[in-house]
Amino acid sequence: MAHRPARDLLTGPVASITLALVVVITVGLFSVGPRFLSASNISIIGQFLAIPILVGTCAGFALLAGVVDLSIGSMVGVSAAIFGTLLINGWDVLPAAAATLVVCLAFGGLNAIAIVGFGADAIAATLGMLTALRGITYVVVEHWGVSGSLMAFHPGLFTFMNLSLWSLPLIFILVLLVAAVATLVVIKTRIGRHLKAAGGDERAASRAGISVPRVRTTALLISAFGAGLAGIIFVGQIGAVSRLTGFGLEFQVYAALMIGGYSILRGGVGNPAGGALGFLVIAGATNILDLNAINPYYVNIVIGLLLLAAVWLDRLRGGDSYE
Amino acid sequence: MADIDTSSTSSPGRLSLSNFGVWGTILPLASAWLVLIAVTGAVRSDFLAHQTVLAVAFTMAVVGTLAVGQALVAISGSMVDLSQPTSLILSALVAVRLLELEFAVTLAVAIAVLSGAAWGFLNALIIVYGKINPVIVTLATNFIGLAALFLVFQIAESPINSSFRAFGLGSTLGIPNIWWPMVALIAVVGFFLPRTRYGRRAIAVGGSRFAAQARGISLPKTRFAIFTAAGAAAGLAGVLFACSSGPFTPSGGVVYLLPVIAAVILAGVTLSGGRGNLWILLLSVGFLSTVPTSLVFLGLSSDWQAIIQGLILVVAVAIDGYEARRGTR
Repeated sequence: MAHRPARDLLTGPVASITLALVVVITVGLFSVGPRFLSASNISIIGQFLAIPILVGTCAGFALLAGVVDLSIGSMVGVSAAIFGTLLINGWDVLPAAAATLVVCLAFGGLNAIAIVGFGADAIAATLGMLTALRGITYVVVEHWGVSGSLMAFHPGLFTFMNLSLWSLPLIFILVLLVAAVATLVVIKTRIGRHLKAAGGDERAASRAGISVPRVRTTALLISAFGAGLAGIIFVGQIGAVSRLTGFGLEFQVYAALMIGGYSILRGGVGNPAGGALGFLVIAGATNILDLNAINPYYVNIVIGLLLLAAVWLDRLRGGDSYE
Repeated sequence: MADIDTSSTSSPGRLSLSNFGVWGTILPLASAWLVLIAVTGAVRSDFLAHQTVLAVAFTMAVVGTLAVGQALVAISGSMVDLSQPTSLILSALVAVRLLELEFAVTLAVAIAVLSGAAWGFLNALIIVYGKINPVIVTLATNFIGLAALFLVFQIAESPINSSFRAFGLGSTLGIPNIWWPMVALIAVVGFFLPRTRYGRRAIAVGGSRFAAQARGISLPKTRFAIFTAAGAAAGLAGVLFACSSGPFTPSGGVVYLLPVIAAVILAGVTLSGGRGNLWILLLSVGFLSTVPTSLVFLGLSSDWQAIIQGLILVVAVAIDGYEARRGTR
């Protein structure tokens, strides 16, 4: 392909999402004013974005390896329910968190056994896991909760979640750090190259001596771990778990990841930085509508249109054309 | 029963369940259903009663009708229609609003079904002209559609004391009225799909779109036909939903999406297309719809149904994957 800088600027993988973010910030500054970029407003966005970006960064590993993990939303729910229950029963934070993460990794392991071990279709298998984990969340919340919600407020954890650094929420900065490290891993390391190879062309990867099953198993475990950690953060931030905690989060996360340059239909494309930018664009647009007191349902219309535009741009720059 | 199979993975020589063709799907499914009924009946003899039939058939109606649309999309190689929650509620809302304007019931129902078809046509427009994968298109249009519905209404209900409502809550031959249109739809579509030119084109496109193109089948036309038909099925489901349920909200259709996809997969319709028999939907939908009632009789809260249904799905697709892998070796 000929080198066309103007076109690359508009259609390159991270360029288009960066451009979208610039547009959102510009629109925000014009319609809301300088307070759009004020520390307090960004703190609100950051506090809200910590969980989706963490879940998305980790689920992105599965996408890169060519296996879609639909169970992440329910995994957040089941993790929050288990962690909350352990806190209620007098466990300390660290052992409770460790036990919760072990359980989530076990569920991720089940995903891997079905998909990698038996060769089940990833979407169908994790759809089953999504349903089962939601059911476990129902049962746990009903058993240990009161009228459909589980109160598990932990003062120490709540204080930690609300710590600030450079007038931004510490948890948001930590999650961005995770995304930054993940980006380096994907772009710069051998692990990242193996991931992309396994997701991009399974046969070529095997021939090159990469163990595709091991890569995919690891990716599914990372995805489960991220969602499990997000459930623990949820309990810290909110102090309560409902039957529907994390419900539908998978659709929001994958919409943002695709806007940020991932593909759910072919592995090996996208990186965590692009994904995080996708979340920032959606959150920025949401925030503009909120601050202008516009009906929040317009947000989902914006997400839908952004998603179509992102995938259409991806096709223009040589992505999958569906015919 | 006619087995439709254009997928290349099934070779006649290997020893596995798929050697039994369509029976390889039917037998395990039917046995699982019978075991479930037998176990529940053994623990609680009052399970084997007319009430249970009513409850199961009632649950089956909307799920089964949606499953026809979802199966058409899957068989033709477009994987899933994630926008069914929107088309279901769109059609239900259209039916309710028209009845409130005192339209004749048949006219209101017809327009409601057409609104579902129009939604499917819209999806096809974006898929065909944007050349974007249906999974992504329907994910996006479901975001947009549900948001638009929330902007239009908060809660709606079919007019109380109307003949429409009376139909939805009544029964014929001891089975709920809304069950019969579902069965008729599955029977008719299941019969014509492998036996007509249009049906076979859809299956051929799902099996291999390149081979289908080489045979002169138009992909855009097939996509328009499939998504419009699937939308109409979702529209019919919306009508059944509106006449049989109480007040509903714009998000009332969301709960159906995953069970419907699960039913389609359990019925042996591969998401990658080219294979599937719609009649088996009656078994998979019936089986999945019996689970909640059984659990209640076994003394487990209905919350357990999601766990059981999810595990059934994981095990089923794992077995399916294992069989397919052995076949390709």
